[in-house]
Order: sequence, then C-alpha cells, then structure tokens
Amino acid sequence: MRCGVAALAGPFALLLLLAAALVSTGPAARAYELVTALSNDRVSITSNFTGANVVVFGTIERDSQSVSRPSGFDVVVTLAGPLTSMVTRRKDRTFGVWINAESQRMRLVPSFMAIRSDHALEEIAQDSLRARLGLGLDMLPINAQTSLSPPARNPFESAFVRLMEESGLYSQIDGSVEFLSAQLFRATIALPANVPVGVYTARVYLFSDGALLHSTEDELVIGKVGFEQYMTTYAHRHGLLYGIGTVLIACLTGWLAGILFRRD
Amino acid sequence: MELYLPIAELPMNVFMLVGMGAAVGFLSGMFGVGGGFLLTPLLIFSGIPPAVAVATVSSQIVASSTSGALSYFRRKAVDVKLGSYLLVSGVFGSYLGVMAFTRLRELGQLDLVIALSYVTLLSTIGALMLTEALRAIAAQRSGKPLPVKRPSTQGWMQRLPLKVRFSRSKLVVSAIPVACLGLIIGFLGALLGIGGGFIMVPALIYLLKVPTAIVIGTTLMQTLGSMAFATIAQASTNQTVDVVLGLCLMIGGVIGAQFGAEVGQKLRGETLRALLGLLVLSVGLRFAVDLVLTPDDLYSLSFPTGEQL
Repeated sequence: MRCGVAALAGPFALLLLLAAALVSTGPAARAYELVTALSNDRVSITSNFTGANVVVFGTIERDSQSVSRPSGFDVVVTLAGPLTSMVTRRKDRTFGVWINAESQRMRLVPSFMAIRSDHALEEIAQDSLRARLGLGLDMLPINAQTSLSPPARNPFESAFVRLMEESGLYSQIDGSVEFLSAQLFRATIALPANVPVGVYTARVYLFSDGALLHSTEDELVIGKVGFEQYMTTYAHRHGLLYGIGTVLIACLTGWLAGILFRRD
Repeated sequence: MELYLPIAELPMNVFMLVGMGAAVGFLSGMFGVGGGFLLTPLLIFSGIPPAVAVATVSSQIVASSTSGALSYFRRKAVDVKLGSYLLVSGVFGSYLGVMAFTRLRELGQLDLVIALSYVTLLSTIGALMLTEALRAIAAQRSGKPLPVKRPSTQGWMQRLPLKVRFSRSKLVVSAIPVACLGLIIGFLGALLGIGGGFIMVPALIYLLKVPTAIVIGTTLMQTLGSMAFATIAQASTNQTVDVVLGLCLMIGGVIGAQFGAEVGQKLRGETLRALLGLLVLSVGLRFAVDLVLTPDDLYSLSFPTGEQL
C-alpha cells in the first residue's frame, strides 16, 4: 500500500522539482546547486504496516556563468533517524554459563541510518572529508564526535555497527543512486517493519572530483497513526488505566468463553 | 494476515499468534495448568521482546484463569478464605517481582535470570513429575498398588504461630507458610510470566495438605488475582503490555483449552502426568542448552532501559 503511495507521489514530486528548477534563479546562487524532494514527507504506521519505501529525488542546477565541469557528479543520499542511546554487551563464559558481562553505552547514535550513493563512497571522497561529514557507516560518529581522521572503533563500537546492519536499521548500498538524466537523480530507501518512529533527516550531498559542492536537508516524519498511535500514547500516558482496561478485556474474554463452552 | 503490534513495535501474523495461543491453550486445558511457562518462551523464541512477552502473557493468564475460576466458584470448590490469604501475599509478591524485573532489565541480566529460573524450576518439577508418574504406571503394570503415603501432620509447621482456621479446607494452619507460598509464587509469576499453578498445586497438596478437590479452584482464584495485579503493575511501570498481542493469545487460548480439556478427560491420570512432566522437563532443558552452548554472537544490543533491539 505504501509503495503505491510512493509510486503515485513520485511523478508528482518530479513535476514539483522541475517547476522549482525553472523558478530558482537566485542572484547569489552558487555555481552548482541541488534541488531535492522526498516522495512523501510523512510515513504512517498503521495496523497493516510491514515496511515502506521513501524515494529521494533531486536535480543538479548550474547557473549560466559557470562552465560545465569536465568530470561528472557524484551524489550521496542519507536518511538518518532520531538520535538515541544504545548499550552493547558482550557475553562471557562464567561457570560454564554464558552471561552478559562487559557493556558499553553508545551515546547519540542515529536509531536508523540509510546511505545510498552512485559509486563506492571511498571513490567519491577522501576519508578525511568523509570523516568530517560523518559520511558512511565506517565514519559514523558515535558519541556525536566527528573528527578529521577516520574514527578508531573499539570492539564494542564495531559490534554495534554490525548488529545495527544485521537488524536492517543501518544500511549502505553503493551504486543505488540512479541518474535518470545528466542532472536528474533518484534514490529509493526501503524502511523495514521495525523502523523506529520519530523525525528523520534526509541529506543529499553533491560531490565532484572529491570535493563537496552542495548539500541539502529534508525532513521526514515517521509516526504511528490511528489505533496504533492511540494505543501507544495511552499505554505511556495512562499506564494504570491501560492495565486495568487490559485486565477487564481479559476477564470478559474468559467469562464469554466460559459461557460459550459451558458444559456443567 | 500481518498485524502491527503497537507495543512490541513489529508486525506478526495474526493466525500464528492465535495458533500459538490455541496450542498452548490446548495443552493447558489437557493438563489443567495455566501454560504461561510454555507461552512466554514460545513468544520469546518467535521474536517478541522478552519484556513484552512476560508482561503480555500475564494478561492472557487472566483470561484463561477467569473461565476456570468461575466454573469452580459455581461448583463451590474454592476455599475463598485460603484463596484470599494467598492472593494478598501474591499481590505483594507480584509487586516485588515487577520491581525486580525493571531493575534486572536495566542491568541487562533479565534474560539470564529468566533463563536460569526456567532451567531450575522446570527441570526440577518436570523430573519430579515424570518419575512419580512413571513409578505409578510401573506399579499398575505389575499389579502392585503403590503404598499410599499418609499425609503426615506437618511437624514443624504445626509449631508456627499465627494459626488460622480455613473451614472450607478443614484445615488449621499457621498463616506464615501460606503467606510465604503466595509471596513466592506472585514474585515468580511477575518476573517470569507464569501463573505458577504447576508449583502452587503440589505445594497446597503436599505442604499444606489442602483437600485435592479444593486445590485447583483455590489456585485459579489466586492466579487470577495476582496475574491481574501483575498486568496492571507492568502496564503502569514498564509499559510493556501489548493489548493487541494479548487479545490474539486470549482468543486462541480459551478456544484451545476447550478441546484440550476434552482430550485430557479421555487420558489416564498417570499418562497425563508423565506427558506433562516430559513437556515441562524439555522446556527446561531447552533453556539449559541455550545457556551452555557458545552463542552465535557474543555481542548484543539493547536500549538503556534494557529493551532488546
């Protein structure tokens, strides 16, 4: 169902983009500029939610004075979920039993991170630039520190990134940004069913010859709606009433079953 | 048909959930136990976060014990006074259990404690049940009746103070062991997502010498009360009760229990106890294997509240 919406919204977003491209002739415009849009700015989690697709569209604009660059452009698209804290634990064998022993807290890490690019990230920009931008799973800042050199990961941090990749919450796919023409590009990001809710940021980076020319940001809200939203809010705000309600439902179910199947 | 569970935050197949409820309901109807000790591990193995599984199963136990308790009430096979004593202490136990649950989750040791408790409890009780039942079957085969053990008057228990008369059970016993029993079972119930009937029933029969006819009804009354309290306490402190998941399990459970009860009436008592013992023992061993085998991945992720990723 979600895909349907995305597919419908796709051409519409493209039209918008082209319209925006025609209008945007700012005087102090930089030589190269990105104009980007999302297929939808809201993803609703309903009772039949099993995942969704978000498409990021964009065009590369050039003002009339600047000469066209000899080599092509590279585009990197990222979609980052709200920041969170996680704990990585390691099991150790104690008296023959595997027990969670050491642990480390991963602070201010994105709860979701999808990275899409037209080529391998290493070919698009140098490590030092990617480290500064925190671009790429290998450069992802943990504890929100971007540095000038690639981060040195301890075993817990490496395990954290690996486990997030295994759970589908972190992903990096090279060659997944599609150029529809010399200027127009598109990247599809599949959101898994276990996607965390919150405010997401889609960033598009434009590179040429290893240099960052421009970047844009768009916001995406992923939220539960309707019954799902209502239940979650209720469970968190009125836990006591929610609990009493659940018990009443349980008693009612048991009582009804007792009547329906009564034998004595 | 996939259904998104609002609290567990993942989609699950409705028919699978109702089916699991029905399968466990069938066994619980057949053996006359609550089935929490089977349902909670089953949910955990199928990907539901342990915290949500434990908390939600308590609501399912409320549903399954309601119909049972009502039918025993109609037959007046409940010692309401004894049940109330067990219930009040059970509610205290549940409260402590929910507190321990929250604390262990923060420490990242909840899964270990759940696993260790399942191993100890289920292996011990399963092994005891199985040997007792096999001995009974062997005695029947050889034609020699098993010597009936006279319930000996509880030596040390008779000397305890605070004697209370439970007239329905024709019993005069100190309130201390009764309260302890309720407390322990309430605690384990909230911590492990089990009703505790499979501990309570033998304890009432062998320790307190309550007449067998009254034991099950009284146990159901206690289970109903302390699990209802555990559901409310989990919902208000940990927010881990998923009502959609609970409802699927309840519907499956109450239907399965009806068919299970019919099959159970056709089987002999000893066979039934041997099968139940085997089942309990194998669930216990399953947990033991997981604890001892080297895990596929030594690392795991969780949120700071302890919720597993």
